[in-house]
Parts: sequence; C-alpha cells; structure tokens
Amino acid sequence: MMERRWNLLTGEWVMVSAFTQARPTNPTNFCPLCPGGDEFEGDYDLVSFDNRYPSMKLDAPEVESEGIYQKARSNGKCEVVVYTIDHESAMSMMPIHQIEKLIRMWADRYLDLAQNRFIKYVFIFENRGKEVGATLPHPHGQLYAFPFIPKRIEAKLQALAKYYDENGRCAVCDIVDSEVKFEKRIIYENESFIALVPFYARWPYEVHIYPKRHVSTIVELTNIERYHLSKALKVVTMKYDLLFKQAFPYMMMLFQAPVNDISYSHAFHFHIEFNPVKRDKDKIKWMASVETGTWAFINPKIPEEAAKELRNVEVEV
Amino acid sequence: MYVSSLSEIRKIMGYRQCDGYEILLEVSKIPSGYKITGEVKGRVDDVELFSFPRPDKVLVNNWQSWGPARVITKEFKLDFPKELIQKFGFSASIMPEVYFNNLISDYFIASEEFVIGALKSQIGHVYFRLNDDNVSVHSRYFGKTFHEWTPIEPVVILNLAPDDGLFYYAELIAKENDIAFSSHNPIGWSSWYQYYLDYDYQKMVSDLDKSKELDLGYEVFQIDDAWEVDIGDWIPNEKFPSLKEMADKIASYGYKPGIWLAPFSISETSSVFKNHPDWLVKDEYGLPVVAYENWNKKIYALDTTHPEAIEWLRKLFITLKESGFDYFKIDFLFAGAIQGRRYAENTSPVEAYRNGLKVIREAVGDSFVLGCGAPLLPSVGFVDGMRIGADTAPYWDPNAPDIGYPNAYYALRNVITRAFMNNILWWNDPDCLMLRKEDTQINDAQRELYTLVSLFLDNMIIQSDNLSYEIDMKLWKLIKKYKTYGRRRFKIKGLIDGKYTITSCGVNGCDEVIIEELTIPQYMVSYDTPRVELKKIVEKRTDGRTFNYYEETHQ
Repeated sequence: MMERRWNLLTGEWVMVSAFTQARPTNPTNFCPLCPGGDEFEGDYDLVSFDNRYPSMKLDAPEVESEGIYQKARSNGKCEVVVYTIDHESAMSMMPIHQIEKLIRMWADRYLDLAQNRFIKYVFIFENRGKEVGATLPHPHGQLYAFPFIPKRIEAKLQALAKYYDENGRCAVCDIVDSEVKFEKRIIYENESFIALVPFYARWPYEVHIYPKRHVSTIVELTNIERYHLSKALKVVTMKYDLLFKQAFPYMMMLFQAPVNDISYSHAFHFHIEFNPVKRDKDKIKWMASVETGTWAFINPKIPEEAAKELRNVEVEV
Repeated sequence: MYVSSLSEIRKIMGYRQCDGYEILLEVSKIPSGYKITGEVKGRVDDVELFSFPRPDKVLVNNWQSWGPARVITKEFKLDFPKELIQKFGFSASIMPEVYFNNLISDYFIASEEFVIGALKSQIGHVYFRLNDDNVSVHSRYFGKTFHEWTPIEPVVILNLAPDDGLFYYAELIAKENDIAFSSHNPIGWSSWYQYYLDYDYQKMVSDLDKSKELDLGYEVFQIDDAWEVDIGDWIPNEKFPSLKEMADKIASYGYKPGIWLAPFSISETSSVFKNHPDWLVKDEYGLPVVAYENWNKKIYALDTTHPEAIEWLRKLFITLKESGFDYFKIDFLFAGAIQGRRYAENTSPVEAYRNGLKVIREAVGDSFVLGCGAPLLPSVGFVDGMRIGADTAPYWDPNAPDIGYPNAYYALRNVITRAFMNNILWWNDPDCLMLRKEDTQINDAQRELYTLVSLFLDNMIIQSDNLSYEIDMKLWKLIKKYKTYGRRRFKIKGLIDGKYTITSCGVNGCDEVIIEELTIPQYMVSYDTPRVELKKIVEKRTDGRTFNYYEETHQ
C-alpha cells in the first residue's frame, strides 16, 4: 500500500507506505552500498538510485478517497544518493573534487526529476548518524521528489515572498549583507558562500550555507561557485567532526525553488541547512512534543556562542 | 473605473450594472500583487475592468504565434500595410475592428514597474487598450449571453519588472489552468524553410538518407506544407505516396514521423468547401467569412461547433495517427477563432477555437502537438509545443514591417520577448534553424546567434535545410553537445531596454550571451568552464528500479 492522506486538522499531506516499514534496521556485518553488497555487483563512482523501500513511486497506484477523507497518489520518487565508493569516507573526509562531482550530480537529479510534470518539489538531504535515523554508515544522502510542496517549504516560500513584497529585495540577500557586516555569526566565508549560525537557529549548532549571489536553485551556480560550495560543505562538516572529536550526526537539507509550480524565483534564495541534533559531546537535543507538535523550537545554545565555537575549530582543506 | 495608481486597485471591487449585463468584481492579494476575479451575468460584449496611467515604455503582445511581442513608447504608431488588412486582418487580431483603430496588447502588458495579464482565455479575450494617457483593461465576450452567474477570465497585477515578473506570470497561468504537456522537447527536421511548396517524396528520401550520413541525431522528421491535395483536403497529392508509406519510410530511419496541416482552414477550391458549405463560419448574412488569403486563394474557417465538422476533424486526425504520424504541426490555427456565426449560436470565438483543439487532442492522444499561427492563451493545455514568433526566413531585415511576416530578425526578437513561456506553458518553438551556408542571405553571426539563443533558452530545435548543401556543422555539434547536458534553467535581463543578457544554466554550469544590439546583431558569448565532467549511465533493473551512474570523464 502506498498513498497520500490529507490531514484535515493541519492542511498537509501525510505519506503512508507499507514499503518503508519493510526496510531493514542497521546491518552490522555488510554494507548494501559497497560493491558486492545488495545493490552493486561492481565498482562505481557516484550513483543515485531508486530506494528499495520507497514512500513514493512515479507509477504509484491509483487511490480512492473515503468520504470526508481525501487521498491522493504518492506519485513521486525516493532515491538514494551515494557519494563515493569509499565506505569509510564522509562529506568531511571526501576530496573537494568528489564533492564537486556530487554537486553536479545533484544538479542533474534536480533537472532530470523536474521533467515529470507532476513533481512539484525536489528535496535533497542527508541524514548522518544513527541519532538521526541513518541506517547505513556508507556516505550517502537521499532525495525525495514530491508531487506536492511540503508544508515547511510552503512556509518558507510564503515568508520569503512576503519579505520581497515589503522590501523589494530578497530576504536572504539582505541576511547575507547583514551577516557579513556583523561577522560574529559567520563560521566560514569564501568568494561565493557564507556559512553561519543563523540568528534564528533552532538547533544548538545549526549552520546554514548561503550563496552570496541570488540564485534559486543549485543549477544556477557557475562552475567556480560549485567549487566554492564544495569547499564550504567540506569545511562545515570538518568543523562539526572536530568540535567534539567524533563523527558528528546531522541532518543536511538543500532548499531549492519548486519545480512545475510557482517558484517565486526572484524571492526564493537557494540555501543549505545543517540541523545537528547534539547540544554537547554526549547530549542530544531531542525534537520532542513542543518542536514536533508546534514547530516551535527551544534552542538551549545562543547562536553567537555556537558560531564562536565552530569558527574557532580550525580546519585545513 | 480609473485608478491613479495600481496600488489603489482594490477600489474596483464591487457590483456594477451595465448595459445588458451585471458584473461583480473581487480583488485579492497574492504575493507581489493582486488577482482580479469576478462573475458576470447577461449579454456581454466588452467589459472595461479598469484603467490606469500609461507608462512611456511598455512591452505589448499580439494575440497569436506570429504576432509581435515588442517594447513600444508613446511615439509608436501602428504601421500595418493597408493593402494587407483585408487579407490578413484576422491574423493580426481576434477583433480586427478594434485592432486597426487602436493600439492594443493581447493577454498581457508589462512595463519596468509591473506585469498585468490574464490567467485564462477559455471564453473571453483579455486585452489592453493603450490610450493617450491611460491603459484600459478589457475582457471581451463577443456578445455571448450568460444565463447564470459565470466566472470572468481572471487577471493578475504583479508589481515586478518583466525580467522576473513574466516568469512568475507564466507559472500562475500554468497553475490556474492545471496544464500538462510532453516532458520531451524534441530535436528534428522540417521541410518548409528550404523547400516551401517545391517539395516531393524524392526530396524527402534524399534528406532522410543524408541525415543518417551526417549522423545528425534527429528524433523527429516532419514534412510540412506541399504534401496535400488542397487546404482542407488532407490527402496526399501526386508528388507523394500514401500517408502510411510516408510515415513508414520516415519511421524506418528511426525518426518519429511528423506532418503539417492547417486543420481549421478550408480553401475555396477544396472539396470540403464545395460539399459542406454549412461547416464554415458565416457572417450575419449567412455567407462564409474569409479568414485570410494565402496560396493565392481565399481561405475560410471550419466551424468547430458543427457536429459534422467536428466528426470530420476527429476522423482526419485519427486517420493521420493510424497512418503512423506521431508529431503534428497544426498551423493557421487563428482561423478557428475568427468572429462570425456558428452552428452553436451562443459560443464565443474563443470557446469554438478551444472546442476544435480539444477534438484534435482527443484524437491524437499523447502524440506531440505543435501549435502555430495560434492564439496563445486559449491554446494553453492543448499543445506540447508552440511557435512564439513570426516565421523565420533566409534573410534578416530589421526594416521590414513588424506584422508577423517571415523574417529571421523579428522571429528571433520574439524568441527572447516570449521566452518566459518556455517549459512552463509548453516548449517554445523558436522556428527552424537554417544552418546551410548556401542558398541563404543569413550571415554567420545571425545564424550563430539564432542557434545560441534557441539553445540557451532550451527551446525546440528543428532544422530546415537541404542536407546536400554545406551545413554549418560547427553549430550542429554545439547543438548535439548541449542536448547531452539535459534540461536547462535560464534568465533574461533587459526585456524593456532591449540590451539582453541571457544566462543559461545546466549541469555544465552557466553560459551567457550578452546581446548589445539585436538588429545587426552585435553580441558576446561566454561559456562557463566545467571543472568536472560526468558521464551518466542509466540502468533499468529487472525489479523496475532505475540506477543513474555518474562517472568522471577526463576531457
């Protein structure tokens, strides 16, 4: 069974999938992403493939609504995005050149999936570490190509479009200007990107990466900007690992303009959010009732202090 | 009602009783602007929704494929040759009686400060009248009677310059109409801009052979006008074998067979005209209305509300499809939307037109349909591709009348000014690339710029050359290379000032062309330099899953 159900109480889609439940828990003695594992017989460089346990499929079955309860087809895509053949690697350990290749693959996936007219949002992300539910340590992320615009994305679009209306400028462009002047929340900066703990951070060591130039998707970055982004990704993930001297668990999410829908591309500024769940070396910041139920976060860490700690973690790339 | 500033637009809200009809207007806030909706009841010809101060410089748009989308100032005067008004009046406008006595813009208008446009044209026709000091916004229903309260065609006012605003506007249209079209944007060949009517089966086979020799990589091979007995009699003439033989021959080369026809046009010499005069759109005296003159003949319009005409149309396309054709260039479509008396009396020209397109779409299923000479907004949702400018031509003449006549310069101008429609409403057809270096007056720069702009804007790429001529293979190699990059995202700056910067982004990075002056043309191209080159290999597994392998290639 695979379908979408409309939540009448919140006005959002919920994906229900029996396939997702069938996925295995953390295997310990083999890696399905290494050559010779379940998915690959031989070598590869980078690969993006259909998840064996998806919550959406391009050819998802037709469904019928039930009385007051509205259902819809889960006609989307769930892909596993494998960064490298090297099982022991991670974004923080990968050569910058490999991250550039990954960015190019992300761009291709975004454009490729956008060709399905019913796809409205391509969400690229990585869950790293068992603390955020990652089932495999092999360096990989995922992507969900949704047939609708998810609720939080809709909220971002509306907020950014409203800011543009009121100010005639993109909010993130203004944030970049303001943070560059303020300096104290920036943890890394290069010619094309800044990485910072945002003023409005929800997680203790939350970091956002913003392009300095207004682009609404990763596709619009030039080749040199993609190189600068790969450096920013490498530096941020290295700082994370060195902060508590451990493989730092995080959720990394790419926010790009919708596809085949209203994109507000003048107002929507591409960005990457890192949402790490640790608040100290051995302490987890749990997303519990308040966060989950209301979307209201309580951050125990003052963003400027988090930024200082992360800025002071010295890395060389 | 006059509003002194578009920020005052809420003032137009409310109920109005007019001559023979009632109307209720609502204004709602949307991001970066407002949406005007409403309902109407009674007999309606023309509704003025509101008027506002006229800016000096505006981007105005013509209703159909070939018509100009251009920036004009207050000094601009319409210069349509008088001798052509009778022949091509309906080509210029759905309402020539208004068009030739006023300055108007159809569907949308834009300035440096705003974009205003209709989101739909399903019953009525939204247009803008440019008066000396103001612009009035109209919705024309051509005397249709609404017995019940019926929604009017919605209009949006966007407080954005067209470089951003037009793209947003197109997305709003797509969403409002819930449209879908082919995800495949084809590359191919067409006979017209080389052979025109001087075309036959031997020439077709010769270019098919040559295309394989040159390894041009077409997906579609489309024969244009010249194959039919008459306009309206869509059976092969003596220069061609049967439809099936033609389609089979093209398919044997691995190409999708494509065919041209003008389905709403009926020539005065055709058997349809002689045998079925009741199938034609008529004037108030019951005489058939001349839609336009071409091929040295008077051309009449098929009444797409007449049950027999509809069945004839349906069978025509089913026959073409059953013969093996899978790509249909349907031309001179404006003929389906001329004013006149129809079988279904209370039908607006827009409704009649859409009825015809619906029949064609139902008959051909998911075959690729390319609209041409077509009213733009009423075609949304029915076509996969759309011509968005005048016919191209083997010459470049910035001094010719800007009235939708063949001309490479005006064709390319519209490719830029209507670029915002591409891959949102349909695939834009920039019209054929002529890459031959002989039998043409097009110079190297004009040929290169036409190709670059079409490629950078991710348009349809259809070539039209005798392939025995010397072809600019440097450009064709560029086309093939670009096609390996997949889809693109693009942006245009300078739509109002006419100095265009087109940035085109794909997996290869962002390339740019800056057009300092289009008339000559004078331009600069810069290609982004990839730092990594990836080759993609797609594997379909037996369990139905797709694996996309990306592997570095060193060039």
